[in-house]
Amino acid sequence: MLKSLTDWIDDRTGYRSLLAWARDFPAPGGVGWRHALGPAFAIVFVLEAITGLLLMVAYSPSSSTAWGSVFHIEHALWMGWFIRGVHYFAGQAMVILIGLVLLQMVVTGAYRQPREFRWWLGLGLLFLTIALSRTGHLLPWDQEGYWSTKIETNIVAGIPVVGPYLQRLIVGGDDYGNATITRFHAAHVVVLPTLLGVCLAATIVLVRRRRTVTDEIARTEAFWPEQALKNLVVAVVVVVGSIIASLALGGAGLDAPADPSSGEFPARPDWYFIWLFHLLRTLPSDLRLVATLVVPGAIVSLLFLLPLLDRLLPKKLAHGLACAVVLAILGGVGYLTYGSLRADAADAHFREALAEADQTSDRATALAADLETGVPPEGSTYLLRQDPLWRGRGVLERKCLGCHVAEGKGKGEQTASDLAQFGSREWIGGLLENPSSKRYFGATAGAGGMAEWKRASKLKPEELSLVADFVATFAVVPDDVTPDDWLSTKEIADHPGLPLFQKECGTCHVVDGLSEGGTRDAPELFGWGSPRWISRMVRKPGAADRYGFLEPKHQMPAFPAEQLTRGDLDMVIRYLRGDYFKTAPAAKAH
Amino acid sequence: MSRRELLVRLVWGCRAVLGLVMLVPGMAFLLSPLKKSGRGTSFDALARMSELKVGEPRAFAVLKDLRDGWVKYPREPIGSVWLIRQPDGVDPPVVALTAECPHLGCAVNLAADGKSFLCPCHNSIFSLAGKPENTVSPRPMDPLDVQITSGPDPEIRVKFERFRPQADRRIPLA
Ligand code: FES
Repeated sequence: MLKSLTDWIDDRTGYRSLLAWARDFPAPGGVGWRHALGPAFAIVFVLEAITGLLLMVAYSPSSSTAWGSVFHIEHALWMGWFIRGVHYFAGQAMVILIGLVLLQMVVTGAYRQPREFRWWLGLGLLFLTIALSRTGHLLPWDQEGYWSTKIETNIVAGIPVVGPYLQRLIVGGDDYGNATITRFHAAHVVVLPTLLGVCLAATIVLVRRRRTVTDEIARTEAFWPEQALKNLVVAVVVVVGSIIASLALGGAGLDAPADPSSGEFPARPDWYFIWLFHLLRTLPSDLRLVATLVVPGAIVSLLFLLPLLDRLLPKKLAHGLACAVVLAILGGVGYLTYGSLRADAADAHFREALAEADQTSDRATALAADLETGVPPEGSTYLLRQDPLWRGRGVLERKCLGCHVAEGKGKGEQTASDLAQFGSREWIGGLLENPSSKRYFGATAGAGGMAEWKRASKLKPEELSLVADFVATFAVVPDDVTPDDWLSTKEIADHPGLPLFQKECGTCHVVDGLSEGGTRDAPELFGWGSPRWISRMVRKPGAADRYGFLEPKHQMPAFPAEQLTRGDLDMVIRYLRGDYFKTAPAAKAH
Repeated sequence: MSRRELLVRLVWGCRAVLGLVMLVPGMAFLLSPLKKSGRGTSFDALARMSELKVGEPRAFAVLKDLRDGWVKYPREPIGSVWLIRQPDGVDPPVVALTAECPHLGCAVNLAADGKSFLCPCHNSIFSLAGKPENTVSPRPMDPLDVQITSGPDPEIRVKFERFRPQADRRIPLA
């Protein structure tokens, strides 16, 4: 039944003779593992095409959506992390495979005439594979891909005269963004694979062409099935290796979304370019050209000219020289790469930055995975920019911790209070107990009012605690509530701390409709610790209802909107108030 | 078995490994949309009683946090609901009909005279109670569960759901 069906198909298409042509040809140079590397490269390329096509079904190429779609692939789609992991690691393996093929050609002299074209095609395959890996690295639009692309294209920009133009052409303009992604995407999914396929096809044609295998033809063995098996075994090893790598490392990994404004991301180029990067950073800047142009240019030209050495030198000598050249290149690349890794390992600052980057990416993952947060419509960059924990803390560190501290830690000499928990019951309770602690007004010049009150006050600890309870209610006063509205709510009107507040605090602090103040200058307290109160404190610390009574030199500097945007101020306030998405200590997805 | 036969079998074995490694995860990946979305349904306030007049249907947008793939859109209109206030004493006092046509899912409009519903796509006509008045739609317009709060001007809360198009019964989409 099946036989008659295949007979029929063969009768109409002749597919069997095609298969026979593919199988039953004499393997040039005999059967061997070293001949399996090239075919395995081709098989892995086919698998890359399949996994790539699958990923394309779910990938969205733009700077606002790329990261989110890759995140979706990794965490929401069935086996997405597996497919992406295999695609990534097998892609790295392709770079190694084609490198080994070329090395093998040099060592066995297979690059020489009459097979120059096979060597040149092999070099073409190497560059195309690197270009595929490189373009693919940017597509997730995460920190890692973004910054390594930036480094590498900046190396390109160092080429004299044409460098800057080349860079603009690669990047698609001045800035890295949508235009960069669209062109990298097109290159990665269509242009480069097509070219690679053409080079592969040309190589296969050349391999089968007798003319190019004359010196090997003496020893021929059938390709099928022995060599076919060896090829497949290498391919299976690569794929299984990629699967193991994915399982061990949790997939290809996805860093935090790319953010051009993020301070220090410890970026390094892809592993096969680290040597160049290291060369560039160790050379004095007036020798930059050596790294950007001379060395890469010399290596590429040497490799291309290698088969032509035969014409200048005796055969043996030329081969020996070619081996020496390639070994020297490999040695140099290896030495520089090792140097770079060592330098990084010894660099405490780099390791710290790495650890911080890891934390950032964990936070991004948690935010994106949660149904409450998710990737905002503005794009993945805003995932962290709209996160009070991340953004608020960052702004606090840059803008506030020059004078303030948070949990005792600041960035300069402390001349103001500790902002950790500001607005909380805990903070105000501590203040009432010990106002001259450095956490409160101890470090603040000119703000001795509370300490003075403390010396005179006769409140008992329980009473103090009631006052603190009462003041802490200010922090939850909604923005549109007036003191009148608020004082007439039942819980506030009946609050046992209210009369104490009126008597003890109200003599200095004004609260409309509750206390007159007047004994001593003090800020108004209605809404203390609420977004509205903090916001005014930051914008106009010298206002009459804040700390306008202090000598100007003791006042907090104002932060108008030009210095601190509305959005950033909100982030700081929400961070201080602990108003942000909190992760349950849950196990990682997969 | 000869050595050659063994080798051929091993070749097919390797091919099978590579094939399965691609095929199984690949199929799973492509079938991901069949995964349950886990989107919960809840009652959402759409309007107040004072906004409705007896016998005059009005459409209200259902605003919900929408998760579109990986993006979260806060409070997006995800659908539209016709609310029809019933004469006093009738229970329930408000009927909610989803504006999604049971035929092929277009948005059902009120006819110009306000006396019936009309779907612009294939001219389904429904009475103000949602009963089909021609044979285009396989079933009446889909009613939604309604909750009405107490108080002087009660809030009308509706549980928004989607149903399978073309079916002659109401089958909620998971
Ligand atoms: S979709 Fe409404 S009539 Fe066809």
